[in-house]
Amino acid sequence: MVDFVGKDILRVDAFDKALGSILYGPDQNIEGALWLLAKRSPYPHARILSIDTSQAETIDGVVRIFTAADIPGENSFGIIPVTKDQTLLAKDKVRYIGDAVALVAAYDLKSAKEAVDKIKVNYEELPAIYDPEESLKKGRILIHEKGNLLCSSRIIKGDIEKGFSNADIIIEREYRTSRLEHLSLEPEGGIGYFEDGRIVIIASTQNPHYDRDDVARLLGLSPDKVRVIQCGTGGGFGGKLDISVQGFIGLAVYHLKRAVRMVYSREESFLTTAKRHPLIMRYKTGAKKDGKLTAVKVDIIGDTGAYASYGLAVIMRATVHATGPYEVENVYVDGKMAYTNLPWCGAMRGFGVPQIAFAHESQMDILAHELNIDPIDIRLINAFKKGSVTATGQRLDHSVGIKESLYKIKEIRDKYSWSKKKGERLGTYIGVGVGSMWYGIGNTGVPNPSTAQVELLPDGSAILYTGAAEIGQGSDTILLQIASQRLGIAIDRIKLVRGDTLYTTNAGATSASRQTYISGNAVMDSIDHLEDILKAEASEQMDLPSSELIVKDGKIFSIKDSSKSIDIFELVKICNKNKVRVIGEGRFDPPTIKLDPETGQGVPYATYAFASQVSRVEVDTFTGFIKVLNSASAHDVGKAINPKMVKGQITSGVAMGIGMALMEEFVPNKTKSLKDYYIPTSMDMPEIIPIIVEDKEPTGPFGAKGVGEPALIPTAPAIINGIYDAVGVRITHLPANLERVIGELLKKEGA
Amino acid sequence: MKDITISFTLNGKPITIDFPPTMSLLKLLREKLGLLGTKEGCGIGECGACTVLVNGKAVNSCMMLAAQVEGKEVLTIEGLGTKENPDPLQISFVENGAIQCGFCTPGMILSAKALLDKNPNPKREEIKKAIEGNLCRCTGYTAIIEAIEAASRKK
Repeated sequence: MVDFVGKDILRVDAFDKALGSILYGPDQNIEGALWLLAKRSPYPHARILSIDTSQAETIDGVVRIFTAADIPGENSFGIIPVTKDQTLLAKDKVRYIGDAVALVAAYDLKSAKEAVDKIKVNYEELPAIYDPEESLKKGRILIHEKGNLLCSSRIIKGDIEKGFSNADIIIEREYRTSRLEHLSLEPEGGIGYFEDGRIVIIASTQNPHYDRDDVARLLGLSPDKVRVIQCGTGGGFGGKLDISVQGFIGLAVYHLKRAVRMVYSREESFLTTAKRHPLIMRYKTGAKKDGKLTAVKVDIIGDTGAYASYGLAVIMRATVHATGPYEVENVYVDGKMAYTNLPWCGAMRGFGVPQIAFAHESQMDILAHELNIDPIDIRLINAFKKGSVTATGQRLDHSVGIKESLYKIKEIRDKYSWSKKKGERLGTYIGVGVGSMWYGIGNTGVPNPSTAQVELLPDGSAILYTGAAEIGQGSDTILLQIASQRLGIAIDRIKLVRGDTLYTTNAGATSASRQTYISGNAVMDSIDHLEDILKAEASEQMDLPSSELIVKDGKIFSIKDSSKSIDIFELVKICNKNKVRVIGEGRFDPPTIKLDPETGQGVPYATYAFASQVSRVEVDTFTGFIKVLNSASAHDVGKAINPKMVKGQITSGVAMGIGMALMEEFVPNKTKSLKDYYIPTSMDMPEIIPIIVEDKEPTGPFGAKGVGEPALIPTAPAIINGIYDAVGVRITHLPANLERVIGELLKKEGA
Repeated sequence: MKDITISFTLNGKPITIDFPPTMSLLKLLREKLGLLGTKEGCGIGECGACTVLVNGKAVNSCMMLAAQVEGKEVLTIEGLGTKENPDPLQISFVENGAIQCGFCTPGMILSAKALLDKNPNPKREEIKKAIEGNLCRCTGYTAIIEAIEAASRKK
């Protein structure tokens, strides 16, 4: 009997990574490959009057310069099919500083840089818009022809006015978050070449099948004429969901039919890839004296920058999750996403939920203080339980571990007597803050299937085929564990074929914490089908009807007479002899119901992850410096397929959450490199207690849900609420950097 | 500009090589010598992904001219251990879950190596300090610190 689920199996890719032998995007090379470099706009908003490449073309080493006129297909891309508004090379106008206008292919990078400098673009500058609320005012200059509103989303439940009239207390506050950069340590990069009548692109990515389809669309080709292979991917966090180098590489290979490579500099990665959407969130929350919520009204304005990317998904997620993991009878949420002439925003770990959780958890904390209720208790009073109905009208019938997560962090807080006190050094104060969250697994109310195949080989081994991108989160290992457990074959007997569009089918994006649940289920389904094939063959061999056969421990048995059995690999040998491959095709699409466009009612997700975190922070009132001392996070993951890796995700999320809470802010026109953008180092990390809660999800593989994004979400709220506990100032604009903390402390003193 | 020629010890073997005088050590390793285990994360000495050891000291190879290693000993991840004979730190990183995307890993392991060679039994704070210049966006550092602690206990 094999036992691979729920075990701390070592990551299958770790050893090669420790040896430094895995090749990432920037490591890809083919002798003689040309270098690609984009010429980019210096203006936030301008009309392109002309592009003159003649001088640049005379530079030795330059092979070809491309402009929008060279794009044979649709010069528009974007990850959401209904909002493909981004140009690969701008045609008529540029919409942010960094928009690509031309692409140079040269023998070396030096010549390519020279050529980029020599390309003359004649622009007519247009007034630019930097504020999303300004952008939505009537009469403003249009960034896109269709208007400056990308999309809106609304959720209506109950009677909001009645909810407020029943409240004993109403809290109204405005919260703001900043633009953030993913800062995967690996910059975007890859190579391309022409082979067997196909354009082949090897690049770091979170989504090889999407890349293939959008590159094919840009080039006017059918998708089978493009092959994308995911290479080692050094982190993604949402930043490698949109295409970056892939489009340019595809265009150059299309015309030149030769090998090319492209690697973004860190500066290019900062300026021209997606960011996290800054949101303005205006909350009005009503509650009874006993802490029970009566009404939540939220107005959200998001800034998607110059292009749509995932903006639609982010505003939908933010509105759906706006109540937090609490049952509220009366809800009204209105979200709008506006274009500006700032760097475009897309997916980043949590899709709007980290922002909205900061706001709803600040509201809960204010209520707790105002009503003099323990912050964990006020959450317990309102937390979802089995049978609760969400703001979208979805009844939660199973796997609702929010209360359990709150009990777990309460245990830790009380065990170590974490509470407000003076710090050891003069002017320092220690406080304790709580944050909770819920997170829908998979895409919001739209089909987002995954597919997979499992094949058995006569030598007793198997092959798992998956399109699911491994970006460091560990899906290679998790999917192999699931296959291994379900098949009853040791994990080292299963070969993985992953992320090559020629040999694998679409698993959807590695995003929305969906691969364990959705691709895990596709793997389970493929093995169900595999067993059907084996049973059919066994039925012939054993002369028994399929319905009387079961698969167990690597054999097929007769239900009626267990002495009758046949080894599955014997069957594989027979099938292979008859030229039949024993391969099961699997698919899973989480059951959802599209949200009503007027009321937002529906079933956006098949299942949700829940979590709570308590953080202990020290505030230095002389400098504004915040140090997170301890943190305990309890996550309901359904079932931990690999507990060690789940804990790894939790500590990962705490680190990124510390960045979001205390230091990270992408300032357009200023942030260009790691000198202007700080992320947590080893010195910023607290002692972390990761806690796994397992409220099994009946539709998940072995009960599993997801944890990648949830890991991050409760961190910033716990820290910000900890600051309030320590010194009584409430930071409503992230990050709580030195300036903001000192500013608030001075304001409080002045008052 | 004319190429220059220098000799140094690379991963235990003497080498003599020509390259343009302005070439960084990182570019020499990656582009001339094909040692791709050393990563470029930022190119300005801020992320530590390009860390290698020069005479046992961890340096950002992007910030160092290749010419500066004349007569010195350079160790990259390729020279630290092999599949057949990995370094205890490499094993420890694998076993302690200290690797996720793996892009910071070579630099991180070499910074840890420099620490343990000098200080075989570092305190937790000393470990944190030693890897302060190596950014990791995936792990939250905790497992990395534990991996280095575990490797030091085995020494």
